[in-house]
Amino acid sequence: MNVSISKNENIVIITAEGSIDSKTAGDLQSQIMGTVAETNNVLLDLSGVSYVSSAGLRVLLMIYRQIKSKNGKVILVGVSEEIRDVMSMTGFINFFEITDSIENALNSF
Amino acid sequence: MDTTTEFRKFSANLDSLEPIREFLTGLANKLGLDKSRTYKLCLAVDEIATNIINYGYLKSGITDGMIDVIVDSNKELLTVTLEDTAIPFNPFENKLPGEVDLALPLEERPIGGLGIMLAKENVDEFRYEFENGKNRNIFCVNLK
Repeated sequence: MNVSISKNENIVIITAEGSIDSKTAGDLQSQIMGTVAETNNVLLDLSGVSYVSSAGLRVLLMIYRQIKSKNGKVILVGVSEEIRDVMSMTGFINFFEITDSIENALNSF
Repeated sequence: MDTTTEFRKFSANLDSLEPIREFLTGLANKLGLDKSRTYKLCLAVDEIATNIINYGYLKSGITDGMIDVIVDSNKELLTVTLEDTAIPFNPFENKLPGEVDLALPLEERPIGGLGIMLAKENVDEFRYEFENGKNRNIFCVNLK
Protein backbone atom coordinates (compact mmCIF):
# COMPACT_ATOMS: atom_id res chain seq x y z
CA MET A 1 0.00 0.00 0.00
CA ASN A 2 1.42 3.38 -1.03
CA VAL A 3 -0.01 6.73 -0.06
CA SER A 4 0.84 10.18 -1.34
CA ILE A 5 -0.64 13.49 -0.36
CA SER A 6 -0.68 16.69 -2.41
CA LYS A 7 -2.55 19.98 -2.42
CA ASN A 8 -4.46 21.89 -5.05
CA GLU A 9 -5.36 25.26 -3.52
CA ASN A 10 -7.56 24.35 -0.53
CA ILE A 11 -8.16 20.76 -1.61
CA VAL A 12 -6.11 17.89 -0.22
CA ILE A 13 -5.57 15.11 -2.75
CA ILE A 14 -4.84 11.70 -1.23
CA THR A 15 -3.69 9.05 -3.66
CA ALA A 16 -3.70 5.47 -2.41
CA GLU A 17 -2.34 2.46 -4.25
CA GLY A 18 -2.54 -1.25 -3.52
CA SER A 19 -4.84 -3.15 -1.17
CA ILE A 20 -6.59 -1.69 1.85
CA ASP A 21 -7.08 -4.61 4.22
CA SER A 22 -6.66 -5.07 7.99
CA LYS A 23 -2.90 -5.10 7.56
CA THR A 24 -2.62 -1.83 5.59
CA ALA A 25 -5.62 0.20 6.77
CA GLY A 26 -3.83 1.27 9.96
CA ASP A 27 -0.84 2.62 7.98
CA LEU A 28 -3.13 4.48 5.62
CA GLN A 29 -5.03 5.98 8.51
CA SER A 30 -1.97 7.13 10.40
CA GLN A 31 -0.49 8.65 7.26
CA ILE A 32 -3.54 10.71 6.35
CA MET A 33 -5.42 11.64 9.52
CA GLY A 34 -3.15 14.57 10.41
CA THR A 35 -3.71 16.12 7.00
CA VAL A 36 -7.42 15.36 7.02
CA ALA A 37 -7.72 17.12 10.38
CA GLU A 38 -6.39 20.32 8.83
CA THR A 39 -8.58 20.59 5.75
CA ASN A 40 -12.24 20.81 4.78
CA ASN A 41 -11.88 19.33 1.31
CA VAL A 42 -10.58 15.85 0.55
CA LEU A 43 -10.23 14.24 -2.82
CA LEU A 44 -9.42 10.57 -2.38
CA ASP A 45 -8.01 8.96 -5.50
CA LEU A 46 -8.54 5.19 -5.42
CA SER A 47 -7.65 4.53 -9.08
CA GLY A 48 -4.69 2.43 -7.97
CA VAL A 49 -6.58 0.57 -5.25
CA SER A 50 -7.50 -2.96 -6.25
CA TYR A 51 -9.00 -4.16 -2.98
CA VAL A 52 -10.90 -2.72 -0.02
CA SER A 53 -12.14 -4.76 2.95
CA SER A 54 -14.22 -3.61 5.93
CA ALA A 55 -10.98 -2.25 7.43
CA GLY A 56 -10.72 0.06 4.42
CA LEU A 57 -14.35 1.10 4.85
CA ARG A 58 -13.49 2.05 8.42
CA VAL A 59 -10.85 4.46 7.11
CA LEU A 60 -13.39 5.95 4.70
CA LEU A 61 -15.77 6.34 7.60
CA MET A 62 -13.18 8.16 9.64
CA ILE A 63 -12.37 10.57 6.84
CA TYR A 64 -16.07 11.16 6.29
CA ARG A 65 -16.78 11.87 9.97
CA GLN A 66 -13.81 14.17 10.33
CA ILE A 67 -14.69 16.24 7.24
CA LYS A 68 -18.44 16.19 7.80
CA SER A 69 -17.99 17.64 11.29
CA LYS A 70 -16.43 20.68 9.61
CA ASN A 71 -19.14 20.87 6.92
CA GLY A 72 -16.48 20.00 4.38
CA LYS A 73 -16.59 17.70 1.40
CA VAL A 74 -15.10 14.32 0.45
CA ILE A 75 -15.00 13.20 -3.18
CA LEU A 76 -13.80 9.78 -4.31
CA VAL A 77 -12.22 9.18 -7.70
CA GLY A 78 -11.37 5.95 -9.51
CA VAL A 79 -13.54 3.60 -7.48
CA SER A 80 -13.55 0.18 -9.16
CA GLU A 81 -16.78 -1.67 -9.78
CA GLU A 82 -15.88 -4.24 -7.12
CA ILE A 83 -15.21 -1.58 -4.51
CA ARG A 84 -18.45 0.18 -5.44
CA ASP A 85 -20.24 -3.14 -4.80
CA VAL A 86 -18.76 -3.35 -1.30
CA MET A 87 -19.75 0.26 -0.65
CA SER A 88 -23.29 -0.32 -1.79
CA MET A 89 -23.92 -3.48 0.19
CA THR A 90 -22.82 -1.67 3.33
CA GLY A 91 -24.77 1.51 2.59
CA PHE A 92 -21.58 3.59 2.34
CA ILE A 93 -22.19 4.53 -1.27
CA ASN A 94 -24.99 6.97 -0.42
CA PHE A 95 -22.72 9.19 1.63
CA PHE A 96 -19.87 9.69 -0.79
CA GLU A 97 -19.69 11.70 -3.94
CA ILE A 98 -17.94 9.61 -6.57
CA THR A 99 -16.62 11.02 -9.84
CA ASP A 100 -14.71 9.49 -12.73
CA SER A 101 -11.83 11.92 -13.06
CA ILE A 102 -9.66 14.14 -10.90
CA GLU A 103 -10.58 17.16 -13.08
CA ASN A 104 -14.29 16.61 -12.49
CA ALA A 105 -13.66 16.14 -8.79
CA LEU A 106 -11.62 19.33 -8.49
CA ASN A 107 -14.41 21.25 -10.22
CA SER A 108 -16.99 19.87 -7.78
CA PHE A 109 -15.56 21.43 -4.62
CA MET B 1 -17.65 -36.16 -9.77
CA ASP B 2 -13.93 -35.40 -9.73
CA THR B 3 -12.97 -33.10 -6.94
CA THR B 4 -9.58 -31.43 -6.74
CA THR B 5 -8.17 -30.33 -3.40
CA GLU B 6 -5.54 -27.67 -2.87
CA PHE B 7 -4.16 -26.97 0.57
CA ARG B 8 -1.89 -24.33 2.02
CA LYS B 9 -0.91 -23.32 5.55
CA PHE B 10 -0.52 -19.67 6.51
CA SER B 11 0.79 -18.06 9.68
CA ALA B 12 -2.05 -16.45 11.59
CA ASN B 13 -0.89 -12.88 11.22
CA LEU B 14 -2.03 -9.96 9.12
CA ASP B 15 0.92 -10.37 6.73
CA SER B 16 -0.82 -13.51 5.48
CA LEU B 17 -3.98 -11.75 4.30
CA GLU B 18 -2.61 -10.73 0.92
CA PRO B 19 -0.96 -14.13 0.22
CA ILE B 20 -4.26 -15.85 1.11
CA ARG B 21 -6.12 -13.63 -1.36
CA GLU B 22 -3.47 -14.29 -4.01
CA PHE B 23 -3.69 -18.05 -3.43
CA LEU B 24 -7.48 -17.96 -3.85
CA THR B 25 -7.39 -15.63 -6.84
CA GLY B 26 -4.95 -17.94 -8.64
CA LEU B 27 -7.20 -20.96 -8.10
CA ALA B 28 -10.40 -19.04 -8.93
CA ASN B 29 -8.85 -17.84 -12.20
CA LYS B 30 -8.00 -21.42 -13.15
CA LEU B 31 -11.61 -22.39 -12.51
CA GLY B 32 -12.88 -19.54 -14.68
CA LEU B 33 -14.58 -17.61 -11.90
CA ASP B 34 -15.18 -14.03 -13.07
CA LYS B 35 -13.43 -11.02 -11.59
CA SER B 36 -16.36 -9.81 -9.52
CA ARG B 37 -17.11 -13.18 -7.91
CA THR B 38 -13.42 -13.81 -7.31
CA TYR B 39 -13.19 -10.47 -5.51
CA LYS B 40 -16.24 -11.34 -3.42
CA LEU B 41 -14.85 -14.73 -2.43
CA CYS B 42 -11.53 -13.11 -1.44
CA LEU B 43 -13.40 -10.48 0.57
CA ALA B 44 -15.51 -13.07 2.43
CA VAL B 45 -12.47 -15.19 3.30
CA ASP B 46 -10.32 -12.15 4.16
CA GLU B 47 -12.87 -10.81 6.64
CA ILE B 48 -13.08 -14.11 8.51
CA ALA B 49 -9.31 -14.68 8.38
CA THR B 50 -8.91 -11.21 9.92
CA ASN B 51 -11.26 -12.18 12.76
CA ILE B 52 -9.38 -15.42 13.36
CA ILE B 53 -6.09 -13.50 13.56
CA ASN B 54 -7.27 -10.44 15.49
CA TYR B 55 -9.73 -12.09 17.89
CA GLY B 56 -9.53 -15.86 17.83
CA TYR B 57 -5.82 -16.39 18.27
CA LEU B 58 -5.28 -13.18 20.21
CA LYS B 59 -7.93 -14.17 22.78
CA SER B 60 -6.49 -17.68 22.94
CA GLY B 61 -3.09 -16.20 23.79
CA ILE B 62 -1.58 -18.20 20.93
CA THR B 63 1.12 -16.27 19.10
CA ASP B 64 2.27 -18.84 16.57
CA GLY B 65 -1.14 -19.96 15.32
CA MET B 66 -1.79 -21.19 11.81
CA ILE B 67 -4.68 -20.94 9.38
CA ASP B 68 -5.14 -23.83 7.00
CA VAL B 69 -6.77 -22.92 3.72
CA ILE B 70 -8.33 -25.87 1.95
CA VAL B 71 -9.85 -25.39 -1.48
CA ASP B 72 -12.02 -28.13 -2.96
CA SER B 73 -13.41 -27.76 -6.43
CA ASN B 74 -15.35 -29.67 -9.00
CA LYS B 75 -17.32 -28.53 -12.01
CA GLU B 76 -20.18 -27.30 -9.89
CA LEU B 77 -18.81 -26.01 -6.67
CA LEU B 78 -15.81 -24.21 -5.24
CA THR B 79 -15.45 -24.67 -1.48
CA VAL B 80 -12.91 -22.80 0.63
CA THR B 81 -12.42 -23.98 4.20
CA LEU B 82 -10.46 -22.05 6.80
CA GLU B 83 -9.35 -24.16 9.74
CA ASP B 84 -7.84 -22.78 12.90
CA THR B 85 -7.17 -23.97 16.42
CA ALA B 86 -8.00 -20.74 18.24
CA ILE B 87 -10.85 -20.54 20.77
CA PRO B 88 -14.27 -21.41 19.31
CA PHE B 89 -15.62 -18.38 17.49
CA ASN B 90 -18.97 -18.77 15.82
CA PRO B 91 -19.52 -15.82 13.48
CA PHE B 92 -23.25 -16.56 13.45
CA GLU B 93 -23.49 -15.66 17.13
CA ASN B 94 -22.31 -12.15 16.42
CA LYS B 95 -24.88 -9.41 16.11
CA LEU B 96 -24.92 -8.17 12.55
CA PRO B 97 -25.84 -4.68 11.43
CA GLY B 98 -29.49 -4.75 10.39
CA GLU B 99 -31.23 -2.72 7.71
CA VAL B 100 -31.82 0.07 10.18
CA ASP B 101 -28.11 0.29 11.02
CA LEU B 102 -27.12 0.24 7.36
CA ALA B 103 -29.46 3.12 6.61
CA LEU B 104 -28.17 5.31 9.44
CA PRO B 105 -26.08 8.33 8.50
CA LEU B 106 -22.41 7.47 8.64
CA GLU B 107 -21.98 9.83 11.62
CA GLU B 108 -24.14 7.53 13.74
CA ARG B 109 -23.20 4.19 12.29
CA PRO B 110 -21.97 1.38 14.54
CA ILE B 111 -19.04 -0.14 12.70
CA GLY B 112 -18.90 -3.61 14.27
CA GLY B 113 -20.07 -6.70 12.47
CA LEU B 114 -19.53 -5.36 8.96
CA GLY B 115 -16.84 -7.93 8.22
CA ILE B 116 -19.03 -10.90 9.13
CA MET B 117 -21.92 -9.42 7.17
CA LEU B 118 -19.64 -9.10 4.13
CA ALA B 119 -18.51 -12.71 4.55
CA LYS B 120 -22.10 -13.95 4.49
CA GLU B 121 -23.26 -11.79 1.61
CA ASN B 122 -20.41 -12.41 -0.77
CA VAL B 123 -20.53 -16.16 -1.24
CA ASP B 124 -23.41 -18.47 -2.11
CA GLU B 125 -23.15 -20.30 1.18
CA PHE B 126 -21.25 -19.63 4.37
CA ARG B 127 -21.21 -22.04 7.30
CA TYR B 128 -19.34 -22.59 10.51
CA GLU B 129 -18.46 -25.77 12.38
CA PHE B 130 -16.43 -26.54 15.47
CA GLU B 131 -15.05 -30.03 15.55
CA ASN B 132 -12.06 -31.78 17.15
CA GLY B 133 -10.82 -28.53 18.60
CA LYS B 134 -10.89 -26.77 15.24
CA ASN B 135 -12.92 -23.85 13.98
CA ARG B 136 -13.97 -24.46 10.43
CA ASN B 137 -15.35 -21.59 8.34
CA ILE B 138 -16.66 -22.83 5.02
CA PHE B 139 -17.37 -20.68 1.96
CA CYS B 140 -19.11 -22.10 -1.11
CA VAL B 141 -19.36 -20.59 -4.57
CA ASN B 142 -21.52 -22.16 -7.26
CA LEU B 143 -19.62 -22.55 -10.50
CA LYS B 144 -22.58 -23.54 -12.69
